[in-house]
Amino acid sequence: MIEALSFLALPALACAALVAIHAYFGLHVLERNVIFVDLALAQVAALGATAAFLLGHPPQGLAAHAYALGFTVAAAALLASTRAWSGRIPQEAQIGVVYVVAAAAALLLVDRAPQGAEHIRQILTGNILTVGWSELAWAIALYAAVGLAYPWIARALKPSGWISEFAFYAAFGVVVTSSVALAGVLLVFAFLIIPAAIGVLHATRFASQLAIAWIAGTAAAFVGLAISYASDLSTGATLVCTYGAALAIAGIARGLRRERRAKFGAALRLGRWLAAALLAASAIWIAISPRADQPLLDSLEHAFPAIRGAYMDAKSLAIGAEAAAYGRRYRDEADKLRAREAERRWKGEPLDEEEVRRIASFEKSYNEMIRGEEFVTREVRSRAREAKRWWIAGAFLLVAAILAVSLPAWRSIPRSAPR
Amino acid sequence: MTIALFLGLEGVVGAEPLRLVSTTTELESLAISVGGELIVATHLIPAGQDAENFQPRPQDLARVREAQAVLRVGVDYDLWLDPLLQQAGNARVRRGGAGYIDASTDIALLDVRAGGVGPDDGHAHGRGNPHYWLDPANAAMITATILEALARLDPPNAKRYEANRLAFLERLDAKMGEWKRALENAPALIAYHDTWPYFARRFRLRFVGIVELRPGVPPSASHLAKLAREGIEARVGAIVREPHEPARDAQFLASRTGARVAVLASSVGAIPEARDYISLIDYDVRALAPSR
Ligand SMILES: [Zn+2]
Repeated sequence: MIEALSFLALPALACAALVAIHAYFGLHVLERNVIFVDLALAQVAALGATAAFLLGHPPQGLAAHAYALGFTVAAAALLASTRAWSGRIPQEAQIGVVYVVAAAAALLLVDRAPQGAEHIRQILTGNILTVGWSELAWAIALYAAVGLAYPWIARALKPSGWISEFAFYAAFGVVVTSSVALAGVLLVFAFLIIPAAIGVLHATRFASQLAIAWIAGTAAAFVGLAISYASDLSTGATLVCTYGAALAIAGIARGLRRERRAKFGAALRLGRWLAAALLAASAIWIAISPRADQPLLDSLEHAFPAIRGAYMDAKSLAIGAEAAAYGRRYRDEADKLRAREAERRWKGEPLDEEEVRRIASFEKSYNEMIRGEEFVTREVRSRAREAKRWWIAGAFLLVAAILAVSLPAWRSIPRSAPR
Repeated sequence: MTIALFLGLEGVVGAEPLRLVSTTTELESLAISVGGELIVATHLIPAGQDAENFQPRPQDLARVREAQAVLRVGVDYDLWLDPLLQQAGNARVRRGGAGYIDASTDIALLDVRAGGVGPDDGHAHGRGNPHYWLDPANAAMITATILEALARLDPPNAKRYEANRLAFLERLDAKMGEWKRALENAPALIAYHDTWPYFARRFRLRFVGIVELRPGVPPSASHLAKLAREGIEARVGAIVREPHEPARDAQFLASRTGARVAVLASSVGAIPEARDYISLIDYDVRALAPSR
């Protein structure tokens, strides 16, 4: 627990800081309908850093940062200018063009540099898990400065024109350049769009939207970090998926809040009809082709292995279980053998080439035996499914019929209940 | 162009050097140490780029089309070469052709996995760990394979190829003792990618763990926590990364375990000091040797 906290404290702080600034800009981005502008600006910054590197500056030095910033500001000026065309070409298309051209140009530049690829990549693939104290402190100072200065500047520049557009893209570009290096492109996009979207779903005033975005974004980030630690999953990817789930929950919550009970009932009915249709389709599929993958049955069996007992007799169940046990044993043996070999690389007597070759061929034959056992398991199951396909299909159809038909009786209960 | 093709088809005539294309720079360097002046060697993956993410360019097709020999790492490391060979339509260097050289032919592979063997990319290490050239003793095997192929393609010069290889092995042998002494009490290590088992086996180095278990998937927090814990227990001396691997993850583990970060090169040209095969190993040994 303490170990977990010591590993997650800094990422959690980083998430909170990133949500704070990105939710704010995210609301503006949603309002302007320029969803992918962060990707484009980050790519332009990477292009600037690559150009600096090609010109002989060290990759993490001041010059590299200055080039990245200069390129970003130039892109901001370009985006502010081309907004006037958006009657003819959607601004999202212009942003897409900036993105692909910057990415492709950077690739061409890297091809010229002897050890180039890594520098571009490091600018775009931050990892929130391994963020360091000093860079986080810098980023927070930068976000605070931009977060305080930009709203003031925006107010001073009203009514909006080229200069205010430019100020928006430039301020946002500066933020994104730093945050992408901290957290990576995917995660920054999630921080930018999803909390803001949740805010827009649940409020109409800017201040309330922002408050909701901050709370929801930070809470979802903490949940995602905890899930990533507990289930041993890659942190950035887990966070992005948690954000997706948070948005889905927010959408459902809005539906529940806004719609009448009757509509809720209708949604429930639709859900049950969909489930019934899925069951009926699975029933037909297993009747036609019992040996093929059966997505519904496979996932049910994965969740509740006992279901197999319903259509397999004791003998085939035993054969399947035995094959699985052998497979596990071979896998263990292979793992042990490999671990012993790895240890002998540095400890005890070294193994000679002949012994290494022998181990490799043992590993290969273990592999074949494991595959053999897997084949037996699959074959036994397929045969049982083939033999009992009409029973399985019938059971599915029965459940589907119950789901579809019993609807009126179920619906009447909550309706008649006194309030 | 046509003349060159005819010359190629007839085998090697007169002073025309043999054109060899290798996928990586380190194989190119080994090929040169056998072929010397008698061959013109080029490589396909630019120095220092991740072989895993390589995309052939139009000129690569021309290079393969005009080659008399193609030298590859194998073990699914450079799978992208197969469609290139198909497309080039150069029968000499197709799989099974006289000019097709798979450097892994006689190597005793490490980490041959049980389970999950299939045509996936080399960095998944499905058929065994493909970074075998990092064991200098394997360089003897690789150059033997190259020698056999060159002697087959260019029999009149077979003696000279053999002499070149012996001279190279002599230089390598002289270095080997020096390298082994330098790494004698080297501390335990953690690597970013599982690039170093062959190197570790030759020089008796202990790698406690790997940061990136699956290529392209950043590590989870609990995996990093476990690595940090085991690293402290084993008194890890350095976190090893290559130039193209993320600096920040290595730095993070270094600060957690009190180790330093060592930037190693696994391919010739990835770092300016690694000019050829021997200076590549030389650089890596010096980067890891405990300072005294
Ligand atoms: Zn690899």
